[in-house]
Amino acid sequence: MKKEKVFLIIGMFLVATIFFITFSSSQISYCCEKTTEGASCQNVAEIQCNTNYKKAPTSCESTSYCKLGTCINSQEGTCTENTPLVVCEENGGVWSVEPAENLGQCQLGCCSIGDQTAFVTQTRCKRLSSLYGLETNYRTDINSELECITTSQPNVEGACVFTREYERTCLRTTKKECGDFKADAGKEDVDFFEGMLCTDENLGTNCGESQQTTCVEGDDAVYYLDTCGNIANVYDSSKKTDKDYWSRIFDKFESCGYDSLTGNANSKTCGNCDYFFGSTCKDYTTWEDSERPDLGNYICADLSCEYDGETYEHGETWCGTNNIESNDKYSPGTSSYRYVCYNGEVTIEPCADFRQEVCVDNEIQIEGSSDTYSVAACVVNRWQNCFNQQTQEECTNDDERDCEWVPFDTDDVVRRGTLSTTTVSERDEPNGYCIPAIAPGFDFWKGTTSAKEVCGLASNTCRVVYEDKLLSKEKIVEGEECLSEEWRLAQEAMCVSMGDCEGGYSRTENYQGFAGQNHSSYNILSEEEFKNE
Amino acid sequence: MGDKRGQVTIFIILAIVIVVGAVLAYFFIPGFGLTTGLSVENPEAFIESCMEDEIEMALEKISLRGGSLEPEHFFNYYNNPVEYLCYINQNYIPCIVQQPLLINHLKSELDESLQPVANSCFNDLKESYEDKGYNVEMKQGKIDTEFKIKSILFNFPNYELTVKKGETLKFDSFNIFVNNNLYELASIANSIIGWESTYGDAETTVYMNYYPHLKVEKKKQGDGTTIYIITNRETNKKFQFASRSLVFPPGYSR
Repeated sequence: MKKEKVFLIIGMFLVATIFFITFSSSQISYCCEKTTEGASCQNVAEIQCNTNYKKAPTSCESTSYCKLGTCINSQEGTCTENTPLVVCEENGGVWSVEPAENLGQCQLGCCSIGDQTAFVTQTRCKRLSSLYGLETNYRTDINSELECITTSQPNVEGACVFTREYERTCLRTTKKECGDFKADAGKEDVDFFEGMLCTDENLGTNCGESQQTTCVEGDDAVYYLDTCGNIANVYDSSKKTDKDYWSRIFDKFESCGYDSLTGNANSKTCGNCDYFFGSTCKDYTTWEDSERPDLGNYICADLSCEYDGETYEHGETWCGTNNIESNDKYSPGTSSYRYVCYNGEVTIEPCADFRQEVCVDNEIQIEGSSDTYSVAACVVNRWQNCFNQQTQEECTNDDERDCEWVPFDTDDVVRRGTLSTTTVSERDEPNGYCIPAIAPGFDFWKGTTSAKEVCGLASNTCRVVYEDKLLSKEKIVEGEECLSEEWRLAQEAMCVSMGDCEGGYSRTENYQGFAGQNHSSYNILSEEEFKNE
Repeated sequence: MGDKRGQVTIFIILAIVIVVGAVLAYFFIPGFGLTTGLSVENPEAFIESCMEDEIEMALEKISLRGGSLEPEHFFNYYNNPVEYLCYINQNYIPCIVQQPLLINHLKSELDESLQPVANSCFNDLKESYEDKGYNVEMKQGKIDTEFKIKSILFNFPNYELTVKKGETLKFDSFNIFVNNNLYELASIANSIIGWESTYGDAETTVYMNYYPHLKVEKKKQGDGTTIYIITNRETNKKFQFASRSLVFPPGYSR
C-alpha cells in the first residue's frame, strides 16, 4: 500500500515538474504588435517580434496598443469584442475598452424589415434597410432575440384587384404593395381584399385555378399557381378543385400534412414541406426522386442522408473514428470525427487531434415515434489532472475532469511494496489509481509534450522472492503473481490508459517489460536485484 | 472519287467566305463589335467584358484565402494560403480577432487589386474609339466596390469619356454588376469569428438551421487551427478562413 502512495507522490511531483519546466523554459515575455509570422498582438519570445512594429516586455493586456476591447464598425453597425486597439484602428474602426454591452452604439434592439426581424444595433438596422431596399422599424424596448423573433408578423397578404386592358385582373400582394401600386399607376380602380386569393370567384378576375405548382424563395413548401401566375395555397392534390381552397389564403397549419414528422418528404399528394422535419421544395427529377407528384412538377424533397448503409435524418449528427479495424476507439493514432447530415449531404468534422477532443453522441427519442435522433459533439478531453487525484470522489467528479478510478488489489499491493520503509501515514493511503477515462495522444516525436514522462508514470516494479534448493529447482516463496499473465495484463492496461503508451512485454534477464514507443516499463526483479535497488 | 474531291473544295470555299464575311462585318457593320467588346453606344459593355475575368478571379481568390488576395498570416490548406481572421499562438485561451472589419477589408482589397485592371480597360476602350476615328477625351477616377445582398456592384464614379466624330457622346456612368453573395458569406464569417474569440469554437449547425441555402464546415488541423468553409449550396461559391482558438495541445505543453 505504501509503495502505491509513493508512486502517486512521485507521479504528482513529476507532473508538477513537467509543468514547471515547460512553462519556465519557454517563458513568454514580449507583447509584439506584429510577429514575424504576421500575427497581430501576440505574446511571444522577443526574437519572434517584427522589428518594424512595437514590442514591450509585458503581456499584451498591459500595453496601450494591444489592449483588448470592442471594435465598432460604424458603416456596417457591428461590434466585435476581443479586438486589440491597433488592429481595430488601423482597419478604420472605432475602439473602446468597454465591453459591447456598455456601449451605446452596440446596444441591440429589434429591427423589423418587411416580414422579417433581426436583433441588431440601430446602425445595422439602417444598413439592412439599404441592402434590402425596405423600410425598417427599430424598437429599443425589446431586449431579447427571442422576444424580437416573436414580434415578427408576416405582412398581411391578399388579392390586389385592378383593371388592365379592359380586363379585371389580380396580383397577390401585401396591402402596402397594393397601395403603392395604386399610387404609382395612378389608378382609382385598384382594390385590396385581405386574406383572399385572386381565384376567388366573388372577385370576378380573369385568374383561375390551375394544376401548376412552384417553389417560393425563402419558403419550404410547394405552392399552387393560378392562371395569372400568382401563388395560391400549399399544394394539396385533394383540393385541386376545392372552391374554398381556391378562394382564401390558408395558413400552413391549416394545410395538409402539417403534423407530419417527415415534413411530407416524397409525398405525391401534399406539398407542406418543412425544413426542420427534413424536407424542402424542389423540382421533381425522375432519377433522384422515388415518387412523382400527382400534380405539377415540384415535390417535398427528402433531405435525409445515406451513409455507410445507414439512413440519417436531416440535422442528425453522430460520431465516428478513423480506427475502423480495432474495437479500441482510443488506441494510438485514433481520432474522433463528428458526422453531420444536412440537406441530404454528409459532412465530416474532425475533433481536435491527439484525442484532446473526443466525439460524444446520444440518441434522443422522437416524441410520438419509436425512432431516435442522434446528436453528437466534439468535447474537450479533460484528462490533464487525473494523475493528481487521490480519492475516488475527486477522480470521478465529471464536472471537473474526465477520469476513471482503478482500485488496487490490496493483497497485491502489500506484496509489491518496494519502498516499504516510507513513513507516509496510512490514513491518507489511496486505494486506487486515477487515470484518464480516454487515453490522450502525444506527439512524442516532437519531444515537446513530455510523452515519455507521462507514460513513465505507469512504470512499476513487482517483487519476487526465490528460495534456493540444493537438489531441486528454486522455489518462489513470494510474489508469484508478478509472473502471472493477469499481472502483466493489469500493468499493460494501466500503461495504455496513460496516453499513447503502448504496453508490451518482453522477458529479459531482469524480467524487464517495456512499453512501446514511450517506454513505460514494469520490471520484475529477482530477490538479489531487488535488494540492490 | 471525283465527287468527293469536289465536295471538299466547296467546303473549303464556304469556310473562306464565312471567315472573310465575319472579318468584314467586324470592321464595317455598326454594333457588330458588341459581341467582341466595343459598341459605340455602350462602352460600359466593353469595360464589363474587359474586366469580368479579372473580377471573377479576384473574387474567387479573395474568397478562398480568408478575404485577402495575399494573406499575411495564414494557414496552408491544401497549398492555398488561408488568412487567420482570429488567432492566438498560445494554448488554452480563446483567440484575438485579427480582422474585425472584414467587409471593409474585402472592399479595400477588391478596390486595390482591380484599380490597375480598370485603368487598363479604360485605356483599351480609349484606343478602340481612336482606332475607329473618334476624338476621345477621358478622365479616370477610382473604382468603388459596393456590396449588395446577392451581388457586388463595381462603380466607376469619376470616370468620364467623351467621344467625338461628328456628334459628341459623353459617358459618365459605368457600373458592373456581378452575381456573388460574398457579402452574405463574409457576414457569417464575422459571426463565427465572434464565437471563436469568445468561446473558442463555433457550432456549424446553428448557421445551417438559420440559412438552409448555406453549408458550413469546420475542419480542425493538427496544430489547433480550424478552417471554416462556408458554401452557398445553390451557386457553390465559397468563403473560407482560418482560426486558432482555445487549443488543447497534446500532452503537457504550453
